[in-house]
Amino acid sequence: MQHTILDQSDVVPGLEAVALHLDSDQLSSFFPLLQKGVTVPAMVGCTLRSLLSDQLAIPGDYVTERITTIFLDNRPVDDLDRTIVRDRSRVTLSAAMPGLVGATVRRGGFYAALRQGISHVAGSGAASGESGMVRLKLFNLMLAELGPLILARGLILEQGELELLLKSLSCKPVGTSTNTGQVLLTVLFSELEDIF
Amino acid sequence: MPVTGQRERGTRMDKIARIDMGAAGGPKVTVGDLGEYAGLGGRAMTSLMVAAEVHPLAHALGAENKLVISPGMLSGTTGSMTGRLSVGCKSPLTGTIKESNAGGQAAQVLARLGYAAVVLEGKPEGDDLYKILINKDGIQVIVDNSLKLMDNYPLVEKLRGEYGDKVAYMTIGSAGERKLLAASIACTDPELRPTRHCGRGGVGAVMGAKRVKAIIIDDAGMKMRPPKEPEKYRDANRKFVEGLRKHPVTGEGLPAYGTNILTNVLNEAGGYPSYNFKGGQFAGSNNLSGETQAALEIERGGTATHGCHRGCVIQCSGVYNDKDGHYLTKQPEYETVWAHGGHCGIDDLDTVAHLDFLDDNIGVDTIEIGVTIGIAMDAGIIEFGDKEGAIRLVEEIQKGTPLGRVLGSGAAITGKVFGVERVPVVKDQALSAYDPRAIQGIGVTYATSTQGADHTAGYAIATNILKVGGDVDPLKTEGQIELSRNLQIATAAIDSTGMCLFIAFAIMDQPETFQALLDMLGSFHGITMTGDDVVALGKKVLSAERDFNTRAGFTKHHDRLPRFFYNEPIAPHNQTFMMKDEELDEVFNW
Repeated sequence: MQHTILDQSDVVPGLEAVALHLDSDQLSSFFPLLQKGVTVPAMVGCTLRSLLSDQLAIPGDYVTERITTIFLDNRPVDDLDRTIVRDRSRVTLSAAMPGLVGATVRRGGFYAALRQGISHVAGSGAASGESGMVRLKLFNLMLAELGPLILARGLILEQGELELLLKSLSCKPVGTSTNTGQVLLTVLFSELEDIF
Repeated sequence: MPVTGQRERGTRMDKIARIDMGAAGGPKVTVGDLGEYAGLGGRAMTSLMVAAEVHPLAHALGAENKLVISPGMLSGTTGSMTGRLSVGCKSPLTGTIKESNAGGQAAQVLARLGYAAVVLEGKPEGDDLYKILINKDGIQVIVDNSLKLMDNYPLVEKLRGEYGDKVAYMTIGSAGERKLLAASIACTDPELRPTRHCGRGGVGAVMGAKRVKAIIIDDAGMKMRPPKEPEKYRDANRKFVEGLRKHPVTGEGLPAYGTNILTNVLNEAGGYPSYNFKGGQFAGSNNLSGETQAALEIERGGTATHGCHRGCVIQCSGVYNDKDGHYLTKQPEYETVWAHGGHCGIDDLDTVAHLDFLDDNIGVDTIEIGVTIGIAMDAGIIEFGDKEGAIRLVEEIQKGTPLGRVLGSGAAITGKVFGVERVPVVKDQALSAYDPRAIQGIGVTYATSTQGADHTAGYAIATNILKVGGDVDPLKTEGQIELSRNLQIATAAIDSTGMCLFIAFAIMDQPETFQALLDMLGSFHGITMTGDDVVALGKKVLSAERDFNTRAGFTKHHDRLPRFFYNEPIAPHNQTFMMKDEELDEVFNW
């Protein structure tokens, strides 16, 4: 395992970048963080499908067939193409869930009517690309399947969060400080099977 | 002196045993043919029998009530997922008809002995406690006062010393013996742990009222129930298993994380009731989630993948070890983790697991008791988030103290005793882990179910493929009544088959898996089954239950949620329950 301080200020201006190279068996160490939610840089003002497919590079069929439960700001989403992601939006990705409520929150599901009043209303506002941040949460099967992709792309952590994370990985502190108090962390795993 | 009833040996589920616990001279066993109950199993058997034979105004703990124990229609066969056992009676908790079901080994073993139902009737005089041994030679009812006030884990250990490990046990703990309204009946799992409970409605109190402490079911010498068309049945079962294994819910999500996979999702949806239904989210949900739980179980040498009965391919259970790697309890279900967790402001899985163990050991419903502890917190008996206090309160139930007896009688009683206004019950049964203000449709089922508030009463999410009541536009809100109705019909039918309700996920999405289920039912009985037959069965069961409740004095005014759901919006959606009374009254109009 190693970590490197990289200059990626062109990716997110003003942020110092830290890159970790870890063994694949350490992927699960990131699950609590991904489950709680991480901040990722993104071009916002786009559709949810664009965020997932174009920016996060998740294959289209995976988005359609596997990510069957999606929340935007606590609201179940049905239509990816008419849902606009804004700066600071919270996007949560999950596989199909059990139970009546699991079926109810499923994207475009047969039981969507049962969640009257909390569904995301699609089609509000036009798409317009601009730099921003999205809070991304991964649940259940998404952790192992999308985690490597998200971590490789990079996420923004508070300096303190990073130090705690490095400690949990038995990794030396980075020992740098940034003007913003935040760093861009990217993580690559060796010998990780590419599910896509 | 043992009382024995005997009839010819057979692997067909073609007999009903009636045990009159109050007979003159001691309990009397009568074994008879199925009669008007031919072809029934599970919930269909328990509900139709209770509706026909129990006076609706009977006291639930009196001699007039009956406790009907019935394996499902496919239990005891080689079919996968067929191990649900139904227990029915008039509920001491709700006053309604009650069907409570559980996994474990009991259904398979009882079915292989040929019993479509075992019915406990009457009520003995005196203070003697009984155990019932059911095997190929018949049924013995034996006085055993050495079992008095034993809780489930030590009780089963003691019974294993006498009857061994190749049997199934159904037992009640001290709560059942004390006739507490939240008392459950435990069924042992393949490892002979008393972890699978007919939990809801106080069925354990009815067993306790009949002074039956344990039922030992021994199928030595018996064979699997044979299908009428063996090859067709085998082929249908193979396709059914394939369907379960390839579906992301039954083949991946549930085996990996169990039902607690729902914590994160419900919290994200704002439908996770916290602090006795004051909020729709809980800040500590990540610490309670199925993802966190599974990782902890594996780290401690337990497992996150385990079947509650042989023949289960979904394997949604697990083994939860303590910090030292010793068995503490089975993997707590989502609803248990919620009830003892977020509902009480507790975000510690070890505390929840400890409470789950106590519930199983004492023999109480984890949902009812968890909700009750939250109400006690709302009453100021202990603070929200008080982990040690929560354990102490459940231990009060175990000790049988006056406070423990109040708590063990459930949420409604506890709310009344301590003057709490926010009491989340319908027909005096506690709501579960889904807030009806966020998920309006489940509120329809909570309100109108024949069972009291019960999230599983409308759980069989296969109505689209069953075409129950025709097609419903899922995007129209007025479809909620129809959806709840259809869900309740489908659930009543599946509850009768002995199939685990979790099969519904695969049959909802995969028509070939639903066809495989129909083919299993059809080839087993040598008939052709259609979706219409399933719907007709569900309607028949619900109609009988509804009729019983009407005769017991329940009206449309009981089909309502507590007022606070209409008056108190919760975050993050700031929404109240919006369904109109007139709409709720339409659920059973078919």
